[in-house]
Parts: sequence; C-alpha cells; structure tokens
Amino acid sequence: MTTVYIADTGVFVRCGGPGKDKFQRLRRALRQADVSLLVPQHVYEELGGDPAADEYPSGNIPYPDGFEEGWIVVAAELDYANPLVSTVMDEARRFIANETDRDEDIIEKADTALVGLAAQLLETGQTDHVVLLTTDKPAGRAAETLLPQHGFSDRIEFRYVSVEYLETVTANDFR
Amino acid sequence: MANLLDTPALARLYAHILQHGPVTVAELVDELDVPQGTAYDYVRNLETAGLVEKTREQRPYEYDAESIALTLSTDGETQTITPALIAAVARRNQDEDIDIYIERHGLDGLAVALEYASEYVDGAVNHRIAARELDLSPLEAEIILQALEPVATEYADGVA
Repeated sequence: MTTVYIADTGVFVRCGGPGKDKFQRLRRALRQADVSLLVPQHVYEELGGDPAADEYPSGNIPYPDGFEEGWIVVAAELDYANPLVSTVMDEARRFIANETDRDEDIIEKADTALVGLAAQLLETGQTDHVVLLTTDKPAGRAAETLLPQHGFSDRIEFRYVSVEYLETVTANDFR
Repeated sequence: MANLLDTPALARLYAHILQHGPVTVAELVDELDVPQGTAYDYVRNLETAGLVEKTREQRPYEYDAESIALTLSTDGETQTITPALIAAVARRNQDEDIDIYIERHGLDGLAVALEYASEYVDGAVNHRIAARELDLSPLEAEIILQALEPVATEYADGVA
C-alpha cells in the first residue's frame, strides 16, 4: 500500500520564522519515515515567486534544503487531457466557488490543482492513498467530498496544517 | 485612540481587558508581564480616554473595557476599528510578520487582511483568492493570513 503526501504553500509558510524549529521537526519526521513531500508546480512557483516576501520572517523558508536532501519533490505537470482530472477540477471549481461564496469565474486552476493532482495520482495507479497537507480548507474539503464520488473512498485524507500539527508531527504521521 | 494604534503594548493591554475584564492591575502585571508602573500608567490613559472604566470602587480596583466602534479613514476608505484590529496591532511586537505587513500596507491594509483572516479560519477563502483580491502575491497572502489566524480565531464572530 502506497501513500503520497502532497504539500501546499501553507505548510512551508508555517515552517518559516525564527528558529525554524517546525521546519526541522517536519524534516526529521519525513526522513525517519523515509517519505518525501510532493509539491505541485504552482506551489513551487508560489514559494519562490515573490522577492518582497523575503522581508517577512515567515517568508524566509529553507525549503531549497528539502530539494537538495530529496525529501521535497516537485510533481509532474497536470494532465488536463485525462478526463478524470479535468472533470474533478471542474467540480472542484464549483465546489470552491460555493464554499467561498465567489463567482465560479474567479476560481482559477491554482485553486483546484491540489484536487486535480490527487485525482491524477489515484487514477493513474501511482499511489493507493493521497494525503493533502494544506491550509487551504476549501480545497481540502473539495478533495474529501469529490474524490469519493469517483470511486476513491477512503483513499484521500485532508490534514489541516496548524501550528499544533507541526509542533507535534512525528514519523508516525507518515507511516 | 491614535496612541492605542501606535503603541502595541498599550493595545495589548486594552485587548486583554476587553477579553478578560473585569481585571485588576495586579492581574495585568502578572498575565502580561509588564512593569507595574507601566500598567498603572496605561490603565490611567485608557480610563482618561474613556476606553476602560473602574467597575469596583474599593481596592483592589477592577477595570473593564468599553467595546469601541471607531473608524479609521485612509485614502477615502473607511475601516471600523474593532477590538480584533486592536488585538492584531498589539501582536506586532511579538510577531514580526504583522509588523512588516503594517509597514508595507498600513493599518487600513491590516484591517482588510483581518477580515480575510476571519474568512480563512472559517474555510470561506484560501490564500490564493485572498492574494488576487488584495493584490498581493500568494506567498505574502498566506504569511499574513497565518499571522492573523490566532486573532481571527479568538475574535470569531466579532471581526466583521
């Protein structure tokens, strides 16, 4: 049985700030469990895309160390030609628009990409389970609601990455 | 009022009285770890400004805060100064992310971000939508939403 852990931008922001204790704790947990975090491409772009964010303690995130050490990996491109991926992302757009009380037109691919990537990994048989580590509650709820409707019951888990989660995370959370 | 927003330690004291009052000065000294003289000065300032009032006339005096609804106008935009906003400003001493956000976007910017933080706590927005609507990068949006999350959680239902 395999599990893939998808990590969103919020995980790394939570790890930032002085001391980087939470970052080291997460790193230790992942390395002990011999697990890597899969980062969607748009998340990788968000993390590195704003020089102004360097002014913030929490914008100073040592995530490049994770790439060097191999416990953070960038995901493959989303395959929009895969009918399940495009269907699930469409459904996620409607779901998130509803959750956030916004017009569907303003929900972008970046908002639904986490759900799309989870669908792609499950549908292509690359993993049995997906765990979404994110602070994006609308996307987490969309994944937990929509993927079971496509036959992936009990194969998707949304974990809200709170301060407490990162302060107590251990290798057991990845086994 | 200007003092309250310019002096995070004063804002912190006011926010504490608002949440936990009625309290005595001794309790404030204990719980906020401020010097006694400073606590007395601040409470006197707040009392003079009508923001707190003595609710027990015998020693030890107890103080409680008046909930305020004042407005802040910048560039023609009016924001209500809520207890949650004062609590957010009060955190700038302990959370440099909030301090830098105020420097970059002003108090009115912080007030708007706080409304988004309240939605973020409820799961009614994510950092990407907030970034587009506030004209920030997704990274900066996530930083300020996480920084304001404790205030938005504490003052749930009272932010908007």
